[in-house]
Amino acid sequence: MVDTKNSAGHQDSTYLNEAYYDQLMHLNEDWQLDGPVPAINQPSLADKLACEALVFAEARLADDLRLEQWLDCYSDKSIYWIPANYPAGDPRQEITLEFHDKRRLEDRVARIRTGVAYSMLPVIRTRHVLGNIEYWQGETNEVRARTSFIIDALFNEKHRTLSGWIGYSFVKNDGDWKISVKQVNLIDADCLQENNTFFL
Amino acid sequence: MFSETWVYLAHASEIKEPNSFVARKMGQRSVIVTRDKENKIHALLNRCTHRGATVCREKKGDKTPFFTCPYHGWTFRNTGECAAIPHQDAYGEGLDKQQFNLKKVPFVSEYRGFIFATLNPEKGRKGIKEHLKSAAGRLDEWIDHNGGDHRAIRISGAQQYTVHANWKCLYDNAGDGYHPEFSHQSLLKMTQERYGSGMDLDYFSGGIDSTPMYSQSLGNGHSFLDQRPCMYENSAFERQRPQPGREAIVEQLTKEVGEQKAKAYFEMATGAGMNLNIFPNLLFIGNQMQVITPLSVGLSDMTWYSTTVDNVPTVVNTLRIRTQEDFTAFGEPDDTANFEACFKGMQEREIDWIDISRHLGRAEDSTDDSGVVTSVISSDIHMRTYYEEWKKLMQSNDASRLG
Ligand code: FES
Ligand SMILES: [Fe+2]
Repeated sequence: MVDTKNSAGHQDSTYLNEAYYDQLMHLNEDWQLDGPVPAINQPSLADKLACEALVFAEARLADDLRLEQWLDCYSDKSIYWIPANYPAGDPRQEITLEFHDKRRLEDRVARIRTGVAYSMLPVIRTRHVLGNIEYWQGETNEVRARTSFIIDALFNEKHRTLSGWIGYSFVKNDGDWKISVKQVNLIDADCLQENNTFFL
Repeated sequence: MFSETWVYLAHASEIKEPNSFVARKMGQRSVIVTRDKENKIHALLNRCTHRGATVCREKKGDKTPFFTCPYHGWTFRNTGECAAIPHQDAYGEGLDKQQFNLKKVPFVSEYRGFIFATLNPEKGRKGIKEHLKSAAGRLDEWIDHNGGDHRAIRISGAQQYTVHANWKCLYDNAGDGYHPEFSHQSLLKMTQERYGSGMDLDYFSGGIDSTPMYSQSLGNGHSFLDQRPCMYENSAFERQRPQPGREAIVEQLTKEVGEQKAKAYFEMATGAGMNLNIFPNLLFIGNQMQVITPLSVGLSDMTWYSTTVDNVPTVVNTLRIRTQEDFTAFGEPDDTANFEACFKGMQEREIDWIDISRHLGRAEDSTDDSGVVTSVISSDIHMRTYYEEWKKLMQSNDASRLG
């Protein structure tokens, strides 16, 4: 077994195993909706409202750089995934722009919090706009969603725009809804990227 | 300058099958790198010989023996040969179609799966090995780190970035052993805070010139920075920050192949510990390859190609890929911000010069029989050696290369 002394005190990553990757590939397909979500697959209104609140809060907290609260929107067994292809392929076989378990997502936040992350000096300001959100029922205690997004980002006094669509899986743990998977599909995922060291 | 020397274009695994191709840049020229049905590799200028339109508009493809230009339908074989001109009779009797072949880069050569090309007949005739010089041996070591069989190495996607700086600002950094302690502070500090010391790149902190790491000029503008003496002092895998899924992979692989063998795979997945810079555009960084392409004076394409290996258990490649995502998210963005800041500074009118004199003329530097100069890790020898080559090439620039 791996020496765990270095990861003591951190969320471990035992959950990201072959079965979890298979589930990601299943989600990857499920997010490609054919037509409107049939009434029978709609989540309950209460679940839908809870997930919608979560989606909007997650975007707002990222924009406001309240990154500790932002991390809290993610479940302990979550994946934050920005493919480097469009459409996304299997992350076991091709590199992504970012693919983090909860532990490496915490690393990402901690890097920014050191105060010497020069890619964020001056800090990059962002505003997410989310639209066309569709929700549907996943497994028990799981809701899935897909949305279009536009991010306006300001760095070094210049604006630029990122856009694409996001696939979500939300899970309910102890009564709380959390993001379990967020897959950000940039329309230019396989093209040249700028400084994207904020959270998408 | 990119017309004067050998330039890296693509990896053989990207055009594995006959009649496959990838679209690439050779400096600012668009080229199609093709493999014909006889397995011969060509680099064709992606410019229609009719009116100049871009013939191939896709980034890659297979089962493509012909390219048809979308404008007037002229069709070319993947060898460049002009195969068909619609309604050809209007050009009169006895038209020699060969005069309309796509222009080709005359010298294309492969070194153990790495495809290079040059427009310079003098360099072309001498061959790629003569150009690589001592870098070839280092490239062999990189292949050895990855299992030794170069045919098993495969490109597994790429992360592509623009850098708002001249391409040379990126190359400057490639052999700079001086900067990690400062430029990568966010990575070092975060790692120290969350995982303690003795981790990741922290051997770059403090008196680095007394470590066994070293920097070398390999000739022809190539250079090498060796982190292996520190990174592999004990186990590179153990000193690495844990990557996503590490625990599950360790458990599965140890069960599958036994502890000894699994350990060897983990070291291989961690990174080569080599910074091998093949002038002017191919940089090996860990298990990744970075390719630099100038887009304009102040804009560069920095593409990181990921590599995997065909003949290993699949989870080893999963671990390789998760590891290769790390530096581009945690290290490179801070460097990029610094390249961009350097380029901005270089445009200040009143100040012409930057400094690259660190460890210049150091008495302890040694030169071996093949002309390789070895210096300490924080030496600027990398920049001095490649600017020497760059200057030579800029002075010999022949604009009429393609005739
Ligand atoms: S420009 Fe290509 S066929 Fe006319
Ligand atoms: Fe660096």
